[in-house]
Amino acid sequence: MCSECGTPIAAELDYFAALGIPRRLTLDPRQLENLYHDLGRRLHPDRFAGSAAAIRNASLSATALLTRAFRTLRDPVSRGLYWLELQGEKLASDNQKVPPELAEMIFDVQETLAELRSAHGGDAAAVRDQIAASKAQVQASIGESLADLERNFARWDASVNHDADLIVQLKAILSRIAYLRTLSRDIERALEQPD
Amino acid sequence: MSLIFGIDLGTTNSLIAVMEDGRPRILKDPESGDSMLPSVVALLPDGKVEVGKAAIALEPHLSAQDKQDKNVERDGRISGEQQGVVVRSIKRYMGLGGDEVADEDRHRYTFADFSGPVVRFLVGQRTYTPPQISAEILRTLKAWGEAATGEAVERVVITVPAYFNDGQRQATKDAGRLAGLEVLRLVNEPTAASLAYGLHSMAAGRVAVYDFGGGTFDISILNVKEGIFEVLATNGDTHLGGDDIDQALVNLMLEGLPAALRRDRQVWNTVRHAAEEAKKRLSVEPETRLELKLTGHEIARRLGRDEFEALAQPLVARTIDSCARALKDAGLSRSEIDAVVLVGGSTRMPLVRRRVEEFFGREPLCSLNPDEVVALGAAVQAGVLMGKSGDMLLLDVVPLSLGIESMGGVMERIIHRNTTIPTSARERFTNAVDNQTHVDIHVLQGERELATDCRSLARFKLGPIEPQPAGMARIEVTFLVDANGILNVTARDERTGREHSVDVKPSYGLTDEEIERMLEEAIDLGEEDLNQRLLIQARNDADQILGALEKQLNEYGGLVSAQERALIESLAAKLRAAREGGDRELIARLTEELNEVTTPFAHRIMDQAIKAALEKRSVEEVS
Repeated sequence: MCSECGTPIAAELDYFAALGIPRRLTLDPRQLENLYHDLGRRLHPDRFAGSAAAIRNASLSATALLTRAFRTLRDPVSRGLYWLELQGEKLASDNQKVPPELAEMIFDVQETLAELRSAHGGDAAAVRDQIAASKAQVQASIGESLADLERNFARWDASVNHDADLIVQLKAILSRIAYLRTLSRDIERALEQPD
Repeated sequence: MSLIFGIDLGTTNSLIAVMEDGRPRILKDPESGDSMLPSVVALLPDGKVEVGKAAIALEPHLSAQDKQDKNVERDGRISGEQQGVVVRSIKRYMGLGGDEVADEDRHRYTFADFSGPVVRFLVGQRTYTPPQISAEILRTLKAWGEAATGEAVERVVITVPAYFNDGQRQATKDAGRLAGLEVLRLVNEPTAASLAYGLHSMAAGRVAVYDFGGGTFDISILNVKEGIFEVLATNGDTHLGGDDIDQALVNLMLEGLPAALRRDRQVWNTVRHAAEEAKKRLSVEPETRLELKLTGHEIARRLGRDEFEALAQPLVARTIDSCARALKDAGLSRSEIDAVVLVGGSTRMPLVRRRVEEFFGREPLCSLNPDEVVALGAAVQAGVLMGKSGDMLLLDVVPLSLGIESMGGVMERIIHRNTTIPTSARERFTNAVDNQTHVDIHVLQGERELATDCRSLARFKLGPIEPQPAGMARIEVTFLVDANGILNVTARDERTGREHSVDVKPSYGLTDEEIERMLEEAIDLGEEDLNQRLLIQARNDADQILGALEKQLNEYGGLVSAQERALIESLAAKLRAAREGGDRELIARLTEELNEVTTPFAHRIMDQAIKAALEKRSVEEVS
């Protein structure tokens, strides 16, 4: 469906199809960017400034879809989540409980953040150092989880008989990263607050 | 295709430029030889208007009347300046609702009120909105462009600060429309500047464009690669510029003078002028003298560059904070920036150059005249639209997040800031209670958590919805931000597939009806015949679709069935016949019909273009 005029065209392409690539989980970000730029060059509304309104609108919606597709697929986490959605799977319902392997770290960080809120002067400076250390720890954990994610992406792409357990595992990793990213944002916000 | 012109509608000065032999050129007023038009407009009580130097010449006379001039008439109404007013920096007021005008900007002129969706300047019994005043500047530029090239100036690209919100962008488009221009594209000023710098010759690199003008500040971080100018992040302040530095100096100069004098508008004007001149001198000299005679008082003192810089430093520091935020959003460190470009008159200040160089750790580029570079870039983008600038392409971003007010007054982000445009997002809405007939959506722009802290963009009423139990309705709303950074909203019923009507109530700005009325008022002033102009516009629109259609049928004839072709051709023939007549409504209706009938064809052409592009790539990859 064309969002501009409501004309039923062939059902809107999924993000992989919009970029003309197979539905794979492993993607080379550089190649993806080249593809996006190449298609953008040909479809962008600036290329159709002298065309009829219908063509300009079609180019506008095609380019908007292309942008959405690129932005979703270039990040492995949003790509994974989108791919799950295409499989009819959702993260939200299982995402409520804290991943057990992270419980200790999350508890420690939250406690330090609470300390910072009540600390003053020299104490605050010491707590800040501690938070900066936690931040590095969280970042490292995100890095490991991303590597884990890529490994499992490759496993899925390589397997012929797709294992349902693998989907469960992907969901667990994605949920772990979502948690860590929220934590990292909380830390960042706390560090930005002036004393 | 007729020429497309590039316009820099600046806070302090405005310029017009065009591509000639593959290079952008600033067009001068043949009469005066000037290339910069001061963005100053004099509004006179009889409805006459002067622009540029002519308006500046009136300033000493018109700013003479002060508060006593704001007479309360017998019926209790306040009337505006009786002899007229000279308006500077109108860009600061573009897109603002009455309640959004900054305190320091409120006392400078007489306004009708501070409650409406658009601020109105009061002159005698007449009122003027910022788009109307900006339109006067555009009209003068149009005349300059026509005199300089001998071509009609009808279609333009206009630059806006990257950090302009939706309302400020819409107001700029409205100004174009009021000046009788078709605004094909709004381009962000820093992005335009990067085009002018010919950075496309750069194989690949990351560029920071620091644009500090008379009234606005922008920083954009771009990734430039093989002719693609992709903005990674932008930040700024649409109320921070050289004007504010002048004001800080004015405050210093007026220190210790009686309050009555400090509030006097004529005094303010005189002192502001002296402050601006002193600021300019201090860019080249280490110290200067401030000497000014006011009624009963005298200002006479030395001002060193160090003292001046201490005054300007807090404002410059704010620009550097913006730079840090933009870098963070782009996910880059300072050392990853390959080039820094300076744009805007305020970058002539040595303090600014030093701070920028310190921050980025490299010497900034400033080989092009900072006053002209944005207009030159606008012309380059106009060239892109005419297909004359090779393979260049601009991919800009939306500067501020767009979202909707959700339960509990929280801002729910739908399109995040720094998302490449054009882009779209979809949201599904349903009825909260049984048999609800309408769904109200409040669209917001901003980065704050609470809806009340964000800027209200518009309220949409979806419906009527068929009566059904709560939670059963399925309405899909598409939020689409076009290449100009302006939001469009469409809605569709997922069950029936039908488009829903979207009743838009913009929170600020002018409605279409108001713009139509303003255009009609222009005839009262004997400026031109509106009907004639609308007829010409309708014919142009018809010519455009007929011309484009012929090309499409030639190139993609295989994509239409015989039946479809017959329908298209008979409609086209009707339109061609109507075009020769004088009935503009008929021409407009047939143009619209032809547009509708050819929409499926247009989509097939676009699908084909996508397919061709994809196939071409796979061939290239294989080979």
